[in-house]
Amino acid sequence: MTALEFKSVRKTFGTNVALEGLDLGVMPGELITLLGPSGCGKTTALRIAAGFEFADSGTVSVSDVDISSTAAHKRNMGMVFQSYSLFPNLTVALNIDFGLRTRKVASADRARRVDEMLELVELGRFRDRYPHQLSGGQQQRVALARALAVQPQVLLLDEPLSALDAKVRTTLRDEIRRIQTEVGITTLFVTHDQEEALAISDRVCVMSQGRIEQLGTPTEVYRRPSTAFVARFVGSMNELEGTVVDFRNVSISGRTVAVPAHGQADGTDVKVLVRPEDLTLVDDGFPGTVTSVTFQGATTLVGVRLDVIDRLVSIDVGQGDADHLGIGDRVQVALNGGNAVCEAA
Amino acid sequence: MAAVNSRRGSRLLPTVVLIAAAVFFIMPLVAIARFGFQNVPTVLLGWSSLFKKWTLDGITGAFRDRNFGPALGLSVKLAIGTVFGTIGLLLPTAVWVHLKLPKARGLVEFMTVLPYMVPGIALVAGIKVIQPHARWFLNSPYSLIPYYVVLALPFTYRSIDAGLRSIDLRTLVDASRSLGAGWGTTLRRVLMPNLRTSLVSATFLTVAVVLGEFTISSILLRKTLPVFQATYRSSSPRGAYALSVLFLLGTTAVFAVLSLLTRPKSARVKKIDPVVAAVTDEALATQGLAT
Ligand SMILES: Nc1ncnc2c1ncn2[C@@H]1O[C@H](COP(=O)(O)OP(=O)(O)O)[C@@H](O)[C@H]1O
Ligand SMILES: [Mg+2]
Repeated sequence: MTALEFKSVRKTFGTNVALEGLDLGVMPGELITLLGPSGCGKTTALRIAAGFEFADSGTVSVSDVDISSTAAHKRNMGMVFQSYSLFPNLTVALNIDFGLRTRKVASADRARRVDEMLELVELGRFRDRYPHQLSGGQQQRVALARALAVQPQVLLLDEPLSALDAKVRTTLRDEIRRIQTEVGITTLFVTHDQEEALAISDRVCVMSQGRIEQLGTPTEVYRRPSTAFVARFVGSMNELEGTVVDFRNVSISGRTVAVPAHGQADGTDVKVLVRPEDLTLVDDGFPGTVTSVTFQGATTLVGVRLDVIDRLVSIDVGQGDADHLGIGDRVQVALNGGNAVCEAA
Repeated sequence: MAAVNSRRGSRLLPTVVLIAAAVFFIMPLVAIARFGFQNVPTVLLGWSSLFKKWTLDGITGAFRDRNFGPALGLSVKLAIGTVFGTIGLLLPTAVWVHLKLPKARGLVEFMTVLPYMVPGIALVAGIKVIQPHARWFLNSPYSLIPYYVVLALPFTYRSIDAGLRSIDLRTLVDASRSLGAGWGTTLRRVLMPNLRTSLVSATFLTVAVVLGEFTISSILLRKTLPVFQATYRSSSPRGAYALSVLFLLGTTAVFAVLSLLTRPKSARVKKIDPVVAAVTDEALATQGLAT
């Protein structure tokens, strides 16, 4: 059983195709992130789930009940928006109370529920403040409390962190995940930030131009990207030119490298995409010259220009291993193709 | 030194303009007030007679006229009806235009200015079209309400439109709907409270229009307050002008109180929207002319 399911959902705005037959099922209690560049249809998918937009074709169901034509206010969904959405004329407590009132919950239960929610987001002290007296992060926490107060079947979040500064963004991200697991609510989370998606999700759904590129756990999406788009969008990649030897091997400047099975014909020129952590400094490899050394805390990113293929690559080097390296040093680079992606050149 | 001077200079001009404008508005009012409340022949109304023979005779006389009560009653009812008609019609329309037809905003705005350009008499002529179908309606004095709603449009639509532009309409509406509120509840519990300032000024403008409108009600033979005032003026000019001053001060006071009472509880200092401010000034001016 799926808690929330899109079946062949298609949506166009004029001639602009926002969603091209979206198929996606979210399991009960699961958090799935829609990840993709701006304009790929993430918000549209969320708004269709919420009932603010209606699909041209296809269906949306919640717990196997088709809600495609149910009005937004009759769907039992909580939503947190990208822009600050608290009602400016109501205090924090009354904002949280809003949905309970519209659902005609008895007043004693309402008061209790508001207190519970304030405690959940740790904002009890702010119950009588007005939205403009809160920071952006606090406002989004109230918005989350308000959305959860009515015990919705599904929680929808549309880039709730993108208006916040970096530090608040990570703390609130972790808090959203904590609350989500604590409440056990089925969640669809939209973001264009791959780091955020990898950190928070049970599964990540990478989208591009209204289509799903890959759906998988954060590790799968990062370690085994199924398309070059995903490989480039999630994390950073080095690009090396090579030639296909057979379906599991490519040749890069004379050296044969084993790669995951790919669909390119033997002998074609390909781009081989390799993560910085899959390159290592060794005694026998592609020779090159160090062009930059960037200390990043746990690892150091070393830029190397390879001689033969005249390519600049970045290499993740473990703590301490790069201490002796300086710009201009000659090094040798080995390549682990186990997680590489081959793309027609 | 130069900096201080230039700063002082930059304050001087606005102050002068402000005082000039105040004088421009207040002088005629003072003149009318003296005419209405001083039992002194007009030719003798100079500085020397400023404190002589002030009296309420004129106005009490007007209050005692047997046509005054019904005229006041009718105008108040018309004002209330027009306010409800305007907000009931205009708010949902403006919200709808903002949400669904943002591209048509300019066109709608232009349409709302039309009553300003079309003379009142032409509006009345439009009656010919509906007369055969709606005699019962036209027989009622409340048939003036649609005219007043239309007449007030240039002011009221602008005021509401400015209010809608100042809030994040789409997000507030979506948030409200996702919390289980239908359109009605959303209008009542989310939009109206957050549009207080612009609704109050729309109300003020509407009332000002209703209490100042003469042409249409006189053509349609309705005994509204302005019509009463005009008739009464010929029998007792002093009383009629005293009445005008009283209404102007009265409505201003009522709305001053109203806007204080409806101030957001958060006591947030809301910026006065320049558009609303301009429109308010304009309505005051029309009201001034009408008296
Ligand atoms: N209301 C709308 N009218 C016209 N085009 C729209 C509308 N909403 C979205 N679009 C278009 O649909 C596509 C997907 O938009 P959206 O879902 O907002 O993307 P994302 O949230 O991933 O940035 C974009 O090309 C956008 O321009
Ligand atoms: Mg978006």
